[in-house]
Amino acid sequence: MRVLIVDDEVRLAENIAAALRDNSGFAVDCAANGTDGLALLESGNYDLLLLDLMLPGVDGLSIVRTMRARRDATPVLVLTARDERDQVIGLLNAGADDYLTKPFDLGELLARSKALIRRGKGVSHPVVTIGRLRLNSEEQTVHGDDLLVDLSPTEYRILEYLMFRPRAIVSKKELLEHLYDYRWEHHSNVIEAHVSNLRKKLRTTGVLAAVDTIRGRGYRLTAPGEVC
Amino acid sequence: MHELTGRRHAFDIMLRGRVDSVLGAIQDAEDPNDNVMIDQTELVLPQEDIYEVMMASGKFVGGSPGLTPDLLNALSSHRAYGYFNFKVRGKHYRALEQPGMRVIDREENGGFRRPVRIIYAVPTYYLWHETVEAVRFYVIASVLLLLLTGFLIAWFLRRSMSPLRELALRAERVSEACWEFDAPIEVLKTRELEPIATSIQKLLNGLRTSFERQRQFTGDAAHELKTSIAVLKSSVQLLSMRERTTQEYQSSIEGLLMDTERMEDLTTRMLMLARAEQAPSSASHVMDLSRTLRVVVERLQPIMQLRQVRINLPEQDSGPVRIEPESADLLCSNLLMNAVQHSTPGSAITVCLEERGDSTELLISDEGKGIPQEALPHIFERFYRADPSRSRTNGGAGLGLAICKAIVDRCGGSIAISSAPGLGTKVKVVLLVATASSKL
Repeated sequence: MRVLIVDDEVRLAENIAAALRDNSGFAVDCAANGTDGLALLESGNYDLLLLDLMLPGVDGLSIVRTMRARRDATPVLVLTARDERDQVIGLLNAGADDYLTKPFDLGELLARSKALIRRGKGVSHPVVTIGRLRLNSEEQTVHGDDLLVDLSPTEYRILEYLMFRPRAIVSKKELLEHLYDYRWEHHSNVIEAHVSNLRKKLRTTGVLAAVDTIRGRGYRLTAPGEVC
Repeated sequence: MHELTGRRHAFDIMLRGRVDSVLGAIQDAEDPNDNVMIDQTELVLPQEDIYEVMMASGKFVGGSPGLTPDLLNALSSHRAYGYFNFKVRGKHYRALEQPGMRVIDREENGGFRRPVRIIYAVPTYYLWHETVEAVRFYVIASVLLLLLTGFLIAWFLRRSMSPLRELALRAERVSEACWEFDAPIEVLKTRELEPIATSIQKLLNGLRTSFERQRQFTGDAAHELKTSIAVLKSSVQLLSMRERTTQEYQSSIEGLLMDTERMEDLTTRMLMLARAEQAPSSASHVMDLSRTLRVVVERLQPIMQLRQVRINLPEQDSGPVRIEPESADLLCSNLLMNAVQHSTPGSAITVCLEERGDSTELLISDEGKGIPQEALPHIFERFYRADPSRSRTNGGAGLGLAICKAIVDRCGGSIAISSAPGLGTKVKVVLLVATASSKL
């Protein structure tokens, strides 16, 4: 999953980014002002936006309005040091999904972020199953029946992304965009290598689910016996 | 009482008149003895009245139709002319006994003189009744008049007090949540109330401005502090999320220390600003600006070297100006520090001091990248940062210029900033020259 943080308090943004990377294995980009934030939102595919209200350049409320006007449905979690009720109502009405007042608890921020990402993908519970394969996004573990499937962080993230979008065809480009932030070189063969490893590991636990390659279009997660 | 006396007098006169009427009714009885009689047919008197006519000798001539023996007895018992009162069967009477003379058979030999006594009595309850009636009339009339007057006065008072009441009502509605106060038109039209209304309005406006400024400041301060705390808290929470190496701990602690110092700086500056915005200083403090400038520049040497910036101070000393020593120091160091931070490396900052009549002008020009035009109107606002990219990490709290303005305002001076993007910024501070009296 890829998250964008727009906050002019650089130290705070860095801390949140570190927590999201460490704890949930998300790819995180930061913008220190509203203008950069809007530009990044336009170019990248984000699964969540963490937005400060008082921003130099374009303020938080305008960013929410602009992105909703563009039909960008990315979940938005607003971070604000002002907790005036009117402002919060205005924000939620403008299209923000949730808000947290500063100073917040980092654990709460992580939990809310993950919940918003899940909701954004139409999943309501941290445990997702496909066939007999069960993924717990809270513990970041995968089980086939009751057996633990040992995955590397990147393999887990690929599987998690695919499981959040079951039976949909996900392109390599999309995977790249959602799993890596701007600090990484984008190479599609990196994805290929990871997908190949993931497939192998799934096979060793007995075929419970398969990552199909659809030539020229991408990957698709299916469970055997299912009619596609 | 007066009424009663008056009425009694009138009553007596009426009695006398009735007696005369009775006298008029005495006629020749046309009998051989030349007696007299009363011609009742000619006499029209109230039925309640009683009378008795006697000859001087005491012989009964006649009486009223309603004359009963006990009444007759009562009338006859009195044997003196004049008024008298008596009571028969619970009824009070006032009577008049009077002598009269009747001449009969005037045609024949000059007539006979027939002296008579007439006793006439009228029940006095009429008198009482009428007195009571009259008194009642007066009482009722006065009460009515009193009520009417009272009502009129109340109405008039209400009418004339209504602007005052309206004013009180409007004043009552004012609270810290709602500062709306507009005096009603009738109040402004009332000569006595107009000054009160205007002064309330003026007072409220002043209070409201200062209240709003205070609230704005509290809000801004809370925002800044909360943000600082958020940084600290998230740093600590991030650190404790999992096991770290000693090196990671060390670098995190350094970061935490930095955050804490920033917070300390923020609080110090907020306190400075709050102090600078307090009541005007006494005019007794004077300070030589050239000396302050030299001290400040000496202190800024390290950062000047770091940023490779020179400061050219004026060669000539200027006279003292009216400012507190600490404030002068804070003002000069804030302005010079700003100039140093915004200067391009290798450039120079020029400081001029010029005396112009009763004021001294301090001009600080740098050769930095200047301030964007759209930022200039906000430059003195608290927590305003002109350059977003520098933001909080090295830009301070955005209080420096707000503090400068507060200091200059308090000393009765002025501060203005002009800037040409790419060429540099000029800060002009005008302070009042210390007068001879304040120098002492």
